[in-house]
Amino acid sequence: MAAKTDRKPVGRMTVFGLLTVAMYAAVFTHAEVITSMFARGSLWAAGPIATVFAFSYVHGTFASDLWSVLGVNARPQARKAAETTVARPSARATVKA
Amino acid sequence: MDILALDPSRFIELNAASVAFLFIVGFIGGLVSGFIGSGGAFVLTPGMMSLGVPGTVAVASNMCHKFPKALVGTIKRFKYGQVDLKLGLYMAISAAVGVQGGIRIQQMVLQTWGQAGSDLYVSLSFVAVLVIVGGYVMQDAIRCARCHIPEGTPPLARRLQQIELPPMVTFKTSGIRISFWFTVPVGLATGLLAATIAVGGFVGVPGMIYVLGVPGIMASATELVVAFIMGLGGSINWAMHGLVDIRLVLIILGGSLLGVQLGAIGTTYVREHMIKVVMATIMLIVAVSRCIALPGYLVKLGLMDLSASTLTILGRVSFVCMCFALFIGAVIILGSMWRGRAAERADGVAGAHGQA
Repeated sequence: MAAKTDRKPVGRMTVFGLLTVAMYAAVFTHAEVITSMFARGSLWAAGPIATVFAFSYVHGTFASDLWSVLGVNARPQARKAAETTVARPSARATVKA
Repeated sequence: MDILALDPSRFIELNAASVAFLFIVGFIGGLVSGFIGSGGAFVLTPGMMSLGVPGTVAVASNMCHKFPKALVGTIKRFKYGQVDLKLGLYMAISAAVGVQGGIRIQQMVLQTWGQAGSDLYVSLSFVAVLVIVGGYVMQDAIRCARCHIPEGTPPLARRLQQIELPPMVTFKTSGIRISFWFTVPVGLATGLLAATIAVGGFVGVPGMIYVLGVPGIMASATELVVAFIMGLGGSINWAMHGLVDIRLVLIILGGSLLGVQLGAIGTTYVREHMIKVVMATIMLIVAVSRCIALPGYLVKLGLMDLSASTLTILGRVSFVCMCFALFIGAVIILGSMWRGRAAERADGVAGAHGQA
Protein backbone atom coordinates (compact mmCIF):
# COMPACT_ATOMS: atom_id res chain seq x y z
CA MET A 1 0.00 0.00 0.00
CA ALA A 2 1.57 3.27 1.04
CA ALA A 3 5.32 3.61 1.25
CA LYS A 4 6.73 2.64 4.62
CA THR A 5 8.07 6.13 5.17
CA ASP A 6 4.59 7.68 4.79
CA ARG A 7 3.34 9.16 8.05
CA LYS A 8 -0.36 9.13 8.73
CA PRO A 9 -1.79 12.66 9.10
CA VAL A 10 -3.66 11.94 12.35
CA GLY A 11 -3.14 15.43 13.79
CA ARG A 12 -4.27 17.27 10.68
CA MET A 13 -7.25 14.95 10.27
CA THR A 14 -8.32 15.69 13.85
CA VAL A 15 -8.01 19.46 13.38
CA PHE A 16 -9.95 19.47 10.09
CA GLY A 17 -12.45 16.95 11.48
CA LEU A 18 -13.21 19.25 14.41
CA LEU A 19 -13.42 22.24 12.07
CA THR A 20 -15.86 20.32 9.84
CA VAL A 21 -18.06 19.42 12.82
CA ALA A 22 -17.94 23.05 14.03
CA MET A 23 -18.95 24.37 10.60
CA TYR A 24 -21.83 21.90 10.21
CA ALA A 25 -22.98 22.70 13.75
CA ALA A 26 -22.79 26.45 13.05
CA VAL A 27 -24.91 26.13 9.89
CA PHE A 28 -27.49 23.66 11.18
CA THR A 29 -28.07 25.40 14.51
CA HIS A 30 -28.94 28.52 12.46
CA ALA A 31 -30.38 26.63 9.48
CA GLU A 32 -33.59 28.65 9.38
CA VAL A 33 -31.88 32.04 9.21
CA ILE A 34 -29.09 31.00 6.82
CA THR A 35 -31.38 29.13 4.40
CA SER A 36 -33.85 32.01 4.18
CA MET A 37 -31.03 34.56 3.70
CA PHE A 38 -29.42 32.53 0.91
CA ALA A 39 -32.83 32.10 -0.73
CA ARG A 40 -33.18 35.85 -1.27
CA GLY A 41 -31.31 35.57 -4.57
CA SER A 42 -29.49 38.43 -6.31
CA LEU A 43 -26.22 39.28 -4.51
CA TRP A 44 -27.09 36.84 -1.72
CA ALA A 45 -26.01 34.22 -4.28
CA ALA A 46 -22.47 34.77 -2.97
CA GLY A 47 -23.57 33.12 0.30
CA PRO A 48 -24.16 29.53 -0.86
CA ILE A 49 -21.25 29.68 -3.32
CA ALA A 50 -18.76 30.89 -0.66
CA THR A 51 -20.17 28.39 1.86
CA VAL A 52 -19.68 25.36 -0.39
CA PHE A 53 -16.14 26.50 -1.27
CA ALA A 54 -15.31 26.77 2.45
CA PHE A 55 -16.84 23.35 3.17
CA SER A 56 -15.12 21.74 0.20
CA TYR A 57 -11.74 22.94 1.54
CA VAL A 58 -12.25 22.00 5.19
CA HIS A 59 -14.32 18.84 4.78
CA GLY A 60 -12.36 17.86 1.65
CA THR A 61 -9.07 18.01 3.55
CA PHE A 62 -10.58 16.04 6.42
CA ALA A 63 -11.95 13.39 4.02
CA SER A 64 -8.58 13.04 2.28
CA ASP A 65 -6.74 12.65 5.58
CA LEU A 66 -9.37 10.24 6.89
CA TRP A 67 -8.79 7.82 4.00
CA SER A 68 -5.00 8.15 4.50
CA VAL A 69 -5.32 7.38 8.22
CA LEU A 70 -7.54 4.39 7.39
CA GLY A 71 -4.76 3.15 5.07
CA VAL A 72 -6.70 3.76 1.85
CA ASN A 73 -4.08 5.48 -0.30
CA ALA A 74 -3.43 5.70 -4.01
CA ARG A 75 -1.25 3.02 -5.55
CA PRO A 76 2.38 4.09 -4.98
CA GLN A 77 3.20 3.71 -8.70
CA ALA A 78 0.44 6.20 -9.55
CA ARG A 79 1.90 8.76 -7.16
CA LYS A 80 5.38 8.22 -8.58
CA ALA A 81 4.10 8.43 -12.16
CA ALA A 82 2.56 11.81 -11.41
CA GLU A 83 5.92 13.08 -10.23
CA THR A 84 7.74 11.93 -13.36
CA THR A 85 7.25 13.40 -16.81
CA VAL A 86 4.35 12.17 -18.90
CA ALA A 87 4.91 10.76 -22.40
CA ARG A 88 4.33 13.63 -24.78
CA PRO A 89 3.71 13.81 -28.49
CA SER A 90 6.73 14.41 -30.63
CA ALA A 91 7.27 18.04 -31.57
CA ARG A 92 6.48 19.15 -35.10
CA ALA A 93 9.38 19.62 -37.43
CA THR A 94 10.15 23.34 -37.82
CA VAL A 95 12.35 25.13 -40.30
CA LYS A 96 14.62 27.85 -38.97
CA ALA A 97 14.76 30.69 -41.41
CA MET B 1 -34.49 21.01 12.54
CA ASP B 2 -36.83 23.95 12.87
CA ILE B 3 -37.74 25.60 9.58
CA LEU B 4 -40.82 27.52 10.72
CA ALA B 5 -39.80 30.74 8.97
CA LEU B 6 -39.01 28.99 5.69
CA ASP B 7 -41.47 28.86 2.84
CA PRO B 8 -42.80 25.27 3.08
CA SER B 9 -43.57 25.25 -0.65
CA ARG B 10 -39.84 25.59 -1.38
CA PHE B 11 -38.05 24.15 1.63
CA ILE B 12 -38.92 20.76 3.05
CA GLU B 13 -38.68 19.76 6.68
CA LEU B 14 -35.72 17.47 7.22
CA ASN B 15 -35.81 14.37 9.39
CA ALA B 16 -33.26 11.67 10.24
CA ALA B 17 -34.37 9.40 7.37
CA SER B 18 -34.14 12.11 4.70
CA VAL B 19 -30.72 13.26 6.01
CA ALA B 20 -29.43 9.66 5.97
CA PHE B 21 -30.81 9.11 2.45
CA LEU B 22 -29.16 12.27 1.07
CA PHE B 23 -25.85 11.52 2.80
CA ILE B 24 -25.70 7.93 1.51
CA VAL B 25 -26.73 8.82 -2.06
CA GLY B 26 -24.21 11.69 -1.89
CA PHE B 27 -21.46 9.26 -0.86
CA ILE B 28 -22.25 6.71 -3.58
CA GLY B 29 -22.71 9.44 -6.19
CA GLY B 30 -19.38 10.94 -5.16
CA LEU B 31 -17.68 7.55 -5.40
CA VAL B 32 -18.97 7.05 -8.94
CA SER B 33 -18.10 10.64 -9.97
CA GLY B 34 -14.57 10.34 -8.59
CA PHE B 35 -14.12 7.18 -10.66
CA ILE B 36 -15.85 7.89 -13.99
CA GLY B 37 -15.99 11.71 -13.85
CA SER B 38 -19.77 11.98 -13.76
CA GLY B 39 -22.88 10.27 -12.45
CA GLY B 40 -24.79 10.51 -9.22
CA ALA B 41 -26.69 13.62 -10.29
CA PHE B 42 -29.27 11.56 -12.16
CA VAL B 43 -30.34 9.87 -8.90
CA LEU B 44 -30.05 12.90 -6.61
CA THR B 45 -32.51 15.15 -8.44
CA PRO B 46 -35.38 12.61 -8.56
CA GLY B 47 -34.31 11.44 -5.08
CA MET B 48 -34.75 14.92 -3.63
CA MET B 49 -38.03 15.34 -5.49
CA SER B 50 -39.27 12.08 -3.95
CA LEU B 51 -38.65 13.69 -0.52
CA GLY B 52 -40.94 16.56 -1.52
CA VAL B 53 -38.33 19.06 -2.74
CA PRO B 54 -39.69 21.13 -5.69
CA GLY B 55 -38.04 20.27 -9.03
CA THR B 56 -36.22 23.58 -9.50
CA VAL B 57 -34.85 23.59 -5.93
CA ALA B 58 -33.75 19.96 -6.40
CA VAL B 59 -31.93 20.78 -9.65
CA ALA B 60 -30.34 23.93 -8.15
CA SER B 61 -29.23 22.22 -4.93
CA ASN B 62 -27.89 19.23 -6.85
CA MET B 63 -25.83 21.49 -9.10
CA CYS B 64 -24.54 23.49 -6.13
CA HIS B 65 -23.16 20.32 -4.52
CA LYS B 66 -21.77 19.08 -7.83
CA PHE B 67 -19.15 21.74 -8.55
CA PRO B 68 -17.29 21.61 -5.18
CA LYS B 69 -17.33 17.82 -5.44
CA ALA B 70 -15.86 18.06 -8.95
CA LEU B 71 -13.25 20.53 -7.66
CA VAL B 72 -12.10 18.18 -4.90
CA GLY B 73 -12.07 15.25 -7.35
CA THR B 74 -10.07 17.28 -9.87
CA ILE B 75 -7.44 18.24 -7.29
CA LYS B 76 -7.14 14.64 -6.10
CA ARG B 77 -6.77 13.20 -9.59
CA PHE B 78 -4.47 16.04 -10.70
CA LYS B 79 -2.06 14.79 -8.05
CA TYR B 80 -2.06 11.41 -9.82
CA GLY B 81 -1.23 13.09 -13.15
CA GLN B 82 -4.62 12.17 -14.65
CA VAL B 83 -6.09 15.64 -15.37
CA ASP B 84 -5.57 17.51 -18.65
CA LEU B 85 -6.45 21.05 -17.58
CA LYS B 86 -6.05 22.54 -21.04
CA LEU B 87 -8.40 20.00 -22.61
CA GLY B 88 -10.83 20.50 -19.72
CA LEU B 89 -10.95 24.25 -20.42
CA TYR B 90 -11.45 23.74 -24.18
CA MET B 91 -14.24 21.27 -23.47
CA ALA B 92 -15.88 23.49 -20.87
CA ILE B 93 -16.05 26.50 -23.21
CA SER B 94 -17.74 24.58 -26.03
CA ALA B 95 -19.92 22.74 -23.49
CA ALA B 96 -21.15 26.10 -22.16
CA VAL B 97 -22.31 26.95 -25.70
CA GLY B 98 -23.91 23.49 -25.94
CA VAL B 99 -25.84 24.12 -22.70
CA GLN B 100 -27.36 27.27 -24.19
CA GLY B 101 -28.37 25.29 -27.30
CA GLY B 102 -29.86 22.57 -25.10
CA ILE B 103 -31.89 25.11 -23.11
CA ARG B 104 -33.26 26.63 -26.36
CA ILE B 105 -34.33 23.20 -27.62
CA GLN B 106 -35.96 22.44 -24.25
CA GLN B 107 -37.89 25.72 -24.38
CA MET B 108 -39.05 25.00 -27.93
CA VAL B 109 -40.26 21.52 -26.95
CA LEU B 110 -41.98 22.92 -23.85
CA GLN B 111 -43.80 25.60 -25.87
CA THR B 112 -44.88 23.14 -28.55
CA TRP B 113 -45.87 20.03 -26.54
CA GLY B 114 -46.15 21.26 -22.92
CA GLN B 115 -44.62 19.73 -19.76
CA ALA B 116 -45.52 16.11 -20.62
CA GLY B 117 -43.99 16.52 -24.08
CA SER B 118 -40.85 17.99 -22.54
CA ASP B 119 -40.60 15.07 -20.08
CA LEU B 120 -41.07 12.62 -22.93
CA TYR B 121 -38.35 14.37 -24.96
CA VAL B 122 -35.96 14.18 -22.00
CA SER B 123 -36.71 10.49 -21.42
CA LEU B 124 -36.38 9.61 -25.12
CA SER B 125 -33.05 11.48 -25.25
CA PHE B 126 -31.95 9.59 -22.14
CA VAL B 127 -32.86 6.21 -23.67
CA ALA B 128 -31.43 6.91 -27.14
CA VAL B 129 -28.10 8.32 -25.94
CA LEU B 130 -27.61 5.84 -23.13
CA VAL B 131 -28.42 2.78 -25.25
CA ILE B 132 -26.29 3.82 -28.24
CA VAL B 133 -23.28 5.24 -26.35
CA GLY B 134 -23.55 2.85 -23.39
CA GLY B 135 -23.84 -0.17 -25.71
CA TYR B 136 -20.77 0.89 -27.68
CA VAL B 137 -18.73 1.59 -24.53
CA MET B 138 -19.73 -1.77 -23.03
CA GLN B 139 -18.77 -3.63 -26.23
CA ASP B 140 -15.39 -1.89 -26.22
CA ALA B 141 -14.90 -2.53 -22.48
CA ILE B 142 -15.52 -6.28 -22.98
CA ARG B 143 -13.06 -6.32 -25.89
CA CYS B 144 -10.47 -4.44 -23.79
CA ALA B 145 -10.96 -6.81 -20.85
CA ARG B 146 -10.17 -9.79 -23.07
CA CYS B 147 -7.01 -8.36 -24.63
CA HIS B 148 -4.09 -8.18 -22.23
CA ILE B 149 -2.15 -5.45 -24.00
CA PRO B 150 -2.39 -1.70 -23.26
CA GLU B 151 -5.23 0.00 -25.12
CA GLY B 152 -4.23 1.89 -28.25
CA THR B 153 -5.80 4.98 -29.82
CA PRO B 154 -9.33 4.19 -31.14
CA PRO B 155 -9.53 4.07 -34.99
CA LEU B 156 -11.74 7.19 -35.36
CA ALA B 157 -9.49 9.25 -33.08
CA ARG B 158 -6.37 8.05 -34.96
CA ARG B 159 -7.88 9.19 -38.26
CA LEU B 160 -8.98 12.55 -36.89
CA GLN B 161 -5.56 13.17 -35.33
CA GLN B 162 -4.00 12.73 -38.78
CA ILE B 163 -6.14 15.48 -40.32
CA GLU B 164 -4.20 18.76 -40.35
CA LEU B 165 -7.07 21.25 -40.00
CA PRO B 166 -5.79 24.50 -38.44
CA PRO B 167 -5.68 25.43 -35.66
CA MET B 168 -4.05 22.25 -34.40
CA VAL B 169 -3.87 21.99 -30.63
CA THR B 170 -1.44 19.90 -28.59
CA PHE B 171 -2.72 18.55 -25.30
CA LYS B 172 0.54 17.59 -23.65
CA THR B 173 -0.86 15.80 -20.61
CA SER B 174 -3.12 13.58 -22.71
CA GLY B 175 -0.37 13.12 -25.28
CA ILE B 176 -2.55 14.05 -28.25
CA ARG B 177 -2.42 16.61 -31.04
CA ILE B 178 -5.71 17.27 -32.81
CA SER B 179 -7.56 20.00 -34.66
CA PHE B 180 -9.49 22.43 -32.45
CA TRP B 181 -12.54 21.84 -34.67
CA PHE B 182 -12.77 18.20 -33.52
CA THR B 183 -12.86 19.19 -29.85
CA VAL B 184 -15.83 21.53 -30.45
CA PRO B 185 -18.52 18.92 -31.31
CA VAL B 186 -17.53 16.81 -28.30
CA GLY B 187 -17.88 19.82 -25.99
CA LEU B 188 -21.13 20.93 -27.65
CA ALA B 189 -22.63 17.44 -27.28
CA THR B 190 -21.56 17.35 -23.63
CA GLY B 191 -23.28 20.67 -22.95
CA LEU B 192 -26.37 19.72 -24.94
CA LEU B 193 -26.76 16.52 -22.96
CA ALA B 194 -26.04 18.30 -19.67
CA ALA B 195 -28.91 20.72 -20.41
CA THR B 196 -31.20 17.84 -21.40
CA ILE B 197 -30.53 15.01 -18.93
CA ALA B 198 -28.14 16.74 -16.47
CA VAL B 199 -25.34 14.21 -17.02
CA GLY B 200 -23.12 15.56 -19.80
CA GLY B 201 -20.31 13.20 -18.84
CA PHE B 202 -22.18 10.27 -20.39
CA VAL B 203 -21.25 11.78 -23.76
CA GLY B 204 -18.22 13.86 -22.73
CA VAL B 205 -16.09 10.98 -21.46
CA PRO B 206 -16.79 8.56 -24.36
CA GLY B 207 -16.36 11.52 -26.76
CA MET B 208 -12.91 12.30 -25.38
CA ILE B 209 -11.95 8.61 -25.56
CA TYR B 210 -13.29 7.64 -28.98
CA VAL B 211 -13.25 10.94 -30.91
CA LEU B 212 -10.21 12.72 -29.48
CA GLY B 213 -8.16 9.67 -28.45
CA VAL B 214 -7.69 10.61 -24.79
CA PRO B 215 -6.92 7.62 -22.51
CA GLY B 216 -9.98 6.52 -20.48
CA ILE B 217 -8.49 7.31 -17.07
CA MET B 218 -7.51 10.81 -18.24
CA ALA B 219 -10.87 11.45 -19.95
CA SER B 220 -12.81 10.63 -16.78
CA ALA B 221 -10.53 12.91 -14.72
CA THR B 222 -10.73 15.75 -17.25
CA GLU B 223 -14.53 15.51 -17.23
CA LEU B 224 -14.34 16.66 -13.59
CA VAL B 225 -12.82 19.97 -14.79
CA VAL B 226 -15.75 20.41 -17.18
CA ALA B 227 -18.22 19.54 -14.40
CA PHE B 228 -16.61 22.08 -12.07
CA ILE B 229 -16.69 24.96 -14.55
CA MET B 230 -20.19 24.26 -15.80
CA GLY B 231 -21.47 23.51 -12.30
CA LEU B 232 -20.06 26.74 -10.90
CA GLY B 233 -21.67 28.82 -13.66
CA GLY B 234 -25.00 27.02 -13.27
CA SER B 235 -24.95 27.30 -9.47
CA ILE B 236 -24.34 31.06 -9.55
CA ASN B 237 -27.31 31.37 -11.89
CA TRP B 238 -29.61 29.26 -9.67
CA ALA B 239 -28.38 30.97 -6.48
CA MET B 240 -29.15 34.39 -7.96
CA HIS B 241 -32.75 33.19 -8.29
CA GLY B 242 -32.68 32.08 -4.63
CA LEU B 243 -33.39 28.45 -5.44
CA VAL B 244 -30.48 26.77 -3.63
CA ASP B 245 -31.37 24.97 -0.38
CA ILE B 246 -28.04 25.16 1.43
CA ARG B 247 -29.08 22.50 3.98
CA LEU B 248 -29.59 19.88 1.27
CA VAL B 249 -26.36 20.92 -0.46
CA LEU B 250 -24.27 20.53 2.70
CA ILE B 251 -25.78 17.16 3.64
CA ILE B 252 -25.09 15.75 0.16
CA LEU B 253 -21.63 17.34 0.14
CA GLY B 254 -20.88 15.66 3.49
CA GLY B 255 -21.17 12.26 1.83
CA SER B 256 -19.95 13.11 -1.66
CA LEU B 257 -16.61 14.61 -0.58
CA LEU B 258 -15.80 11.32 1.16
CA GLY B 259 -16.96 9.33 -1.86
CA VAL B 260 -15.25 11.35 -4.58
CA GLN B 261 -11.83 10.92 -2.94
CA LEU B 262 -12.34 7.18 -2.59
CA GLY B 263 -13.37 6.95 -6.24
CA ALA B 264 -10.30 8.93 -7.28
CA ILE B 265 -8.03 6.61 -5.26
CA GLY B 266 -9.81 3.67 -6.90
CA THR B 267 -8.70 4.76 -10.38
CA THR B 268 -5.05 4.10 -9.43
CA TYR B 269 -5.74 0.41 -8.74
CA VAL B 270 -7.74 -0.68 -11.77
CA ARG B 271 -7.05 -1.43 -15.40
CA GLU B 272 -8.22 1.26 -17.81
CA HIS B 273 -11.16 -0.72 -19.18
CA MET B 274 -12.82 -0.66 -15.74
CA ILE B 275 -13.74 3.01 -16.26
CA LYS B 276 -15.63 1.91 -19.38
CA VAL B 277 -17.23 -1.08 -17.62
CA VAL B 278 -18.60 1.06 -14.78
CA MET B 279 -19.77 3.84 -17.09
CA ALA B 280 -21.47 1.48 -19.57
CA THR B 281 -23.14 -0.56 -16.82
CA ILE B 282 -24.63 2.53 -15.21
CA MET B 283 -25.71 3.97 -18.56
CA LEU B 284 -27.49 0.79 -19.66
CA ILE B 285 -29.33 0.32 -16.34
CA VAL B 286 -30.39 3.99 -16.34
CA ALA B 287 -31.67 3.49 -19.92
CA VAL B 288 -33.86 0.63 -18.66
CA SER B 289 -35.09 2.89 -15.84
CA ARG B 290 -36.10 5.61 -18.29
CA CYS B 291 -37.81 3.04 -20.55
CA ILE B 292 -39.95 2.02 -17.57
CA ALA B 293 -40.86 5.70 -16.97
CA LEU B 294 -41.85 6.32 -20.62
CA PRO B 295 -45.49 5.08 -20.41
CA GLY B 296 -46.19 7.74 -17.75
CA TYR B 297 -45.40 10.54 -20.19
CA LEU B 298 -47.27 8.83 -23.04
CA VAL B 299 -50.36 8.68 -20.80
CA LYS B 300 -50.04 12.41 -20.00
CA LEU B 301 -49.91 13.14 -23.73
CA GLY B 302 -53.01 11.01 -24.31
CA LEU B 303 -51.10 8.52 -26.45
CA MET B 304 -51.61 5.59 -24.05
CA ASP B 305 -54.09 4.54 -21.40
CA LEU B 306 -52.96 3.07 -18.07
CA SER B 307 -54.44 3.09 -14.55
CA ALA B 308 -53.08 5.49 -11.92
CA SER B 309 -51.91 2.61 -9.72
CA THR B 310 -49.94 1.08 -12.62
CA LEU B 311 -48.28 4.44 -13.28
CA THR B 312 -47.35 4.80 -9.61
CA ILE B 313 -45.78 1.34 -9.62
CA LEU B 314 -43.89 2.10 -12.85
CA GLY B 315 -42.61 5.38 -11.35
CA ARG B 316 -41.35 3.61 -8.25
CA VAL B 317 -39.74 0.77 -10.22
CA SER B 318 -38.03 3.35 -12.43
CA PHE B 319 -36.59 5.20 -9.42
CA VAL B 320 -35.44 1.97 -7.74
CA CYS B 321 -33.79 1.00 -11.03
CA MET B 322 -31.87 4.29 -11.04
CA CYS B 323 -30.71 3.75 -7.46
CA PHE B 324 -29.68 0.22 -8.47
CA ALA B 325 -27.58 1.63 -11.34
CA LEU B 326 -25.66 3.81 -8.91
CA PHE B 327 -25.36 1.00 -6.36
CA ILE B 328 -24.07 -1.55 -8.88
CA GLY B 329 -21.55 1.02 -10.16
CA ALA B 330 -20.29 1.52 -6.61
CA VAL B 331 -20.04 -2.25 -6.06
CA ILE B 332 -17.96 -2.70 -9.23
CA ILE B 333 -15.66 0.18 -8.22
CA LEU B 334 -15.13 -1.05 -4.66
CA GLY B 335 -14.74 -4.67 -5.84
CA SER B 336 -12.13 -3.85 -8.47
CA MET B 337 -10.35 -1.53 -6.03
CA TRP B 338 -10.29 -4.33 -3.44
CA ARG B 339 -8.84 -6.76 -5.98
CA GLY B 340 -6.26 -4.17 -7.08
CA ARG B 341 -5.16 -3.59 -3.50
CA ALA B 342 -4.93 -7.34 -2.86
CA ALA B 343 -2.80 -7.79 -6.00
CA GLU B 344 -0.61 -4.88 -4.89
CA ARG B 345 -0.09 -6.46 -1.47
CA ALA B 346 0.67 -9.84 -3.07
CA ASP B 347 3.26 -8.19 -5.35
CA GLY B 348 4.80 -6.49 -2.31
CA VAL B 349 5.07 -9.79 -0.40
CA ALA B 350 6.52 -11.55 -3.48
CA GLY B 351 9.02 -8.71 -3.94
CA ALA B 352 10.07 -8.92 -0.30
CA HIS B 353 10.60 -12.70 -0.59
CA GLY B 354 12.57 -12.20 -3.78
CA GLN B 355 14.94 -9.77 -2.10
CA ALA B 356 15.39 -12.01 0.97
